[in-house]
Amino acid sequence: MCLAIPAEVTKLLPDEMAIVSIDGVSKEISVALIEDLAVGDYVIIHVGYALTKIDPEEARRTLELLRELSAAGEGAAS
Amino acid sequence: MSLSFRNEIDITVWLAGATIADVAIKPRSRPPLTRLFAGKPAASLLPVLPRLFSLCSVAHQVAYLSAMEAAQGREPAPARLRSRITAVIGERLTELLRGLFVGRAALDGTSAAAVRAVMQASALLGGVDEAAPEALHCEAIAQIRTALGALGISSEAAAFEPGSALAASVAGCSGKLVAQPVVEPSFLTLADDIEIVARLLADGAAYSDAPDLCGRIPETGVWARSARRKEMSSSSGDPAARLKARIAEIGQLCAWLDHGATDLEEGVVASYRLGAGKGAAAVECARGRLYHAVALDGEGRIVNFEFLAPTEWNFHAHGPLVRNLKGATLAAGRQGQDAVRALVGSFDPCVGFSLGFREAGHA
Repeated sequence: MCLAIPAEVTKLLPDEMAIVSIDGVSKEISVALIEDLAVGDYVIIHVGYALTKIDPEEARRTLELLRELSAAGEGAAS
Repeated sequence: MSLSFRNEIDITVWLAGATIADVAIKPRSRPPLTRLFAGKPAASLLPVLPRLFSLCSVAHQVAYLSAMEAAQGREPAPARLRSRITAVIGERLTELLRGLFVGRAALDGTSAAAVRAVMQASALLGGVDEAAPEALHCEAIAQIRTALGALGISSEAAAFEPGSALAASVAGCSGKLVAQPVVEPSFLTLADDIEIVARLLADGAAYSDAPDLCGRIPETGVWARSARRKEMSSSSGDPAARLKARIAEIGQLCAWLDHGATDLEEGVVASYRLGAGKGAAAVECARGRLYHAVALDGEGRIVNFEFLAPTEWNFHAHGPLVRNLKGATLAAGRQGQDAVRALVGSFDPCVGFSLGFREAGHA
């Protein structure tokens, strides 16, 4: 059950690596499995690899959903 | 607002000298989907699933769709069921192949291109409710065959070629424990489905967070499927053996997608009606058996929704990984720790994991 948390590409690095921002946290990942990636694109990552590219609107809706789930989870825990 | 999900498993190995005395597993957190979707139309959850799950999203869609139909007293037409199975098998092949490299081995240019080609070709095989036209299906299979060939994987022999990069990877697998405990075979099967889905609906998250079958916590996934085919007498398997089983299955899946005349295995997709408005389904995906169960009210709105991912069995606090580690003897230093890491990785969790080592008695 790997949650698909969208990450925004903030910098492309040599050797098919990139810096992404996940909910405000920066992380270096491999983008070897994705072609034609640019800064500003959104990707779904798994254990340090970008698996798929998604469009920004899809990323926005997914982040919105995850925030709703996060809030629901916190409500249940409190 | 930040996301509060813990999307990683924490594993702590307690050592008594060179022997693993105990293993503690802290699971990832699970999203409260029922809480968010209760009262909404059953179909409203379907488009959300591929947005929510980055791995096995086809399997999640097929599981939910099948459970929803069972709850509504409907059955898919044979052609539709066939297209769903094809989509699940295509996704399973892709996930297994990608998992040979992601987080495991260095991904060189040739391997990355081959994995990308399989990911693209698999998407051509059709969605959960529509098969690809025959010509497109054949084209996709040809692309998959070519890509697997570039990696040295033969679908005819369901194996990898000597001298290939994968063969070197298997040969160089650093995951050899000095001694691994003999583990009684215990594998999840189709015959377990009914008990599991009934418990899933009755006990909800309390069950899906830590499932069992009368105290038994069986293994699921590639190794379990391989064991069932070979009728293994032990469920122990070192990382190299598990890697070989994965490669063999990739070849078998490709051959099935190509010929597809006979069933690959029983219950790739199985659905169950559990009473009025209640249904469940099981889907055999890359990491093992995935379950969805749903209860609907008289107007087709969600009253309850539960799912159980394969990782919950394999990474259960008393489950297959722990049984395979507890009592094992490690080589000294980094070599021993690498062997444990390789074994954990070979159980293929659907999330990342952190691995720590502690001396027993120094808690």
